Amino acid sequence: MTTPPTTVPSTDIEVRGLTKSFGGFLAVDDLSFRVEPGRITGFLGPNGSGKTTTLRMLLGLIRPTAGQGLIGGRRYAELPAPLTTVGAALEATNFHPGRSGRDHLRVLAGTHGIPDSRVDAMLELVGIPAAARKRAGGYSMGMRQRLGLAAALLGDPRVLILDEPSNGLDPEGIRWLRGLLRHLAGEGRTILVSSHLLGEVEQTVDDVVIIANGHLVRQGTIEQLHGDPATLVRAADPAHLAEALHGQGITAEPATEHGPGALRALTGDMVRIGDVALVAGVAVHELRPLRTDLERLFLELTEAPAHRNRNLTGDATPSTSTEEQA
Amino acid sequence: MTALIRTELRKYATTRLAWGMALAMFLLGAIFSGGFGALYVYGSLTPDGTPVSEVVPPLVLARLVYTAGIQVAYLLALIIGVLSIGQEFRHKTISGTFLATPRRGRVVAAKVVALVVVGALNGVVHLLGCLLGGGVLLALSDLPVFPEPAELGRTLLLVLLVLALWALIGFGVGVLIPNQVAALSIAVAAAWIVEPLLGFGLTFLDGAEWLAKYFPSQATTATLDLFTGVDPEFARTLGGAEDPLAWWTAALVLLGYAAVMTVVGWLLTRSRDIA
Ligand SMILES: Nc1ncnc2c1ncn2[C@@H]1O[C@H](COP(=O)(O)OP(=O)(O)OP(=O)(O)O)[C@@H](O)[C@H]1O
Ligand SMILES: [Mg+2]
Repeated sequence: MTTPPTTVPSTDIEVRGLTKSFGGFLAVDDLSFRVEPGRITGFLGPNGSGKTTTLRMLLGLIRPTAGQGLIGGRRYAELPAPLTTVGAALEATNFHPGRSGRDHLRVLAGTHGIPDSRVDAMLELVGIPAAARKRAGGYSMGMRQRLGLAAALLGDPRVLILDEPSNGLDPEGIRWLRGLLRHLAGEGRTILVSSHLLGEVEQTVDDVVIIANGHLVRQGTIEQLHGDPATLVRAADPAHLAEALHGQGITAEPATEHGPGALRALTGDMVRIGDVALVAGVAVHELRPLRTDLERLFLELTEAPAHRNRNLTGDATPSTSTEEQA
Repeated sequence: MTALIRTELRKYATTRLAWGMALAMFLLGAIFSGGFGALYVYGSLTPDGTPVSEVVPPLVLARLVYTAGIQVAYLLALIIGVLSIGQEFRHKTISGTFLATPRRGRVVAAKVVALVVVGALNGVVHLLGCLLGGGVLLALSDLPVFPEPAELGRTLLLVLLVLALWALIGFGVGVLIPNQVAALSIAVAAAWIVEPLLGFGLTFLDGAEWLAKYFPSQATTATLDLFTGVDPEFARTLGGAEDPLAWWTAALVLLGYAAVMTVVGWLLTRSRDIA
């Protein structure tokens, strides 16, 4: 950012019972959640689960059938200079193809008396200063995403709402975006990012809100989603080791899906497991943390019979263990 | 509010449409005024074959010459109006517009004011073309180029008013029909085909002829007040209405069209979901 290290007044997002029906089709169904300041929240759900509809209701673009979305306790339409409170990037295609990227930003800036110098600073920040004077119709998907982000940041907002911001970004762009969002959250801003891929935002977000078919299916921190820590131990004599671990108050169970001799110990403390094994005289052949495969967990959550995607027909893939190697 | 209006003007000025439109307005003005001027001066439109320029007073001739392109000019103004909102729907920039200004009534108001300005500015460019094309012709034919400046000047100002009002009518159409291509086709077809045919049809309908003079095209001609001081019989051969409205009534009629369309548009925009 152009400003020296700052902390911004904290502003939360609160979604209360938001509901939208499109002619009888319930796209969003009594959805409630809260987004905390200073954190990055991933808003996740499969295609057609109602993410965009929810964000658009929050931003006053779609009129809710019921419920409301509040930003810092106010409806979007009640915000006095909305761009200075909320920056939003909804789709990477919301540009007039004949207008230059810079002029696109100047048009938005003009409504809030934001100077051209800020426009140029944002173009610099998102890394497209060279293309800024060319017609936006010729921009690549990644450049459009960056222009959208520049637009969202124009008013130095306290809240950032981004709909699938990494669509079309290359790996380098995704890494850059992560760094930027982390930095902005560090300044105390509230950041809500939607995605249909949990794996994509897993490393970026602090909190998650997962929806399926317009319903909330899970909300919490990313740690909570990972669940309790577990460790994989492969030992020459797993039964004996399990017994020894039990003696030390550590639950361990056979984990044959990881191959012969494998145990799942319900602790993250590998030092203790190693020590117990040594005392018990059991040779350890492998010792590593077991991490929850969030992508698979996500599939399970959103494909559960109650949440199976109404937009698709046919059976969901059978779910398997959610644990995989780190 | 002034910031919003400036922003709308900036929006208009930052695409090629602005330059293309101004160029078209200018060229069509020059061509129509020059062309029709030649017809009035050298052609034999009157029953006995005398040129129009010899039957009508210089002021009337100048008015006819300088407003010869009004039908195409107001069609272009109509298109400007449709595009001013249609482009926002088409390219989905309307999301960004409403995010910056969630009170949609203010956006509509800013667009209305900006359109009046843009319509009038394009009118100025159009008139420059008319004055060039028509003026050169009149000068070459040794006819007064700008007779009775006050009276003629008033007509030219009314051209600006007419174009601004047509831009607003277009805006209303654009809001009513969010599909830009459909809105453009319908607006152009209505203004150039349906309306004249309907007007023509009404002349056969006893007791309903009076309706036609309230139609936009006839109200436009009446606003410009082209045929004062001309023999009514002859005025009709030049396209004048039988018993035209007073210029200010006609202007109010046009304003009425623009206002009704804009208000309906605003009511629709107010609650429309932007997806
Ligand atoms: N204007 C509309 N009219 C009718 N149905 C709609 C409309 N907008 C969205 N829907 C439906 O509502 C559901 C939710 O759509 P939405 O765009 O919010 O999903 P999403 O989670 O953003 O999906 P994606 O990951 O594909 O972007 C979809 O089934 C969609 O077909
Ligand atoms: Mg979406």
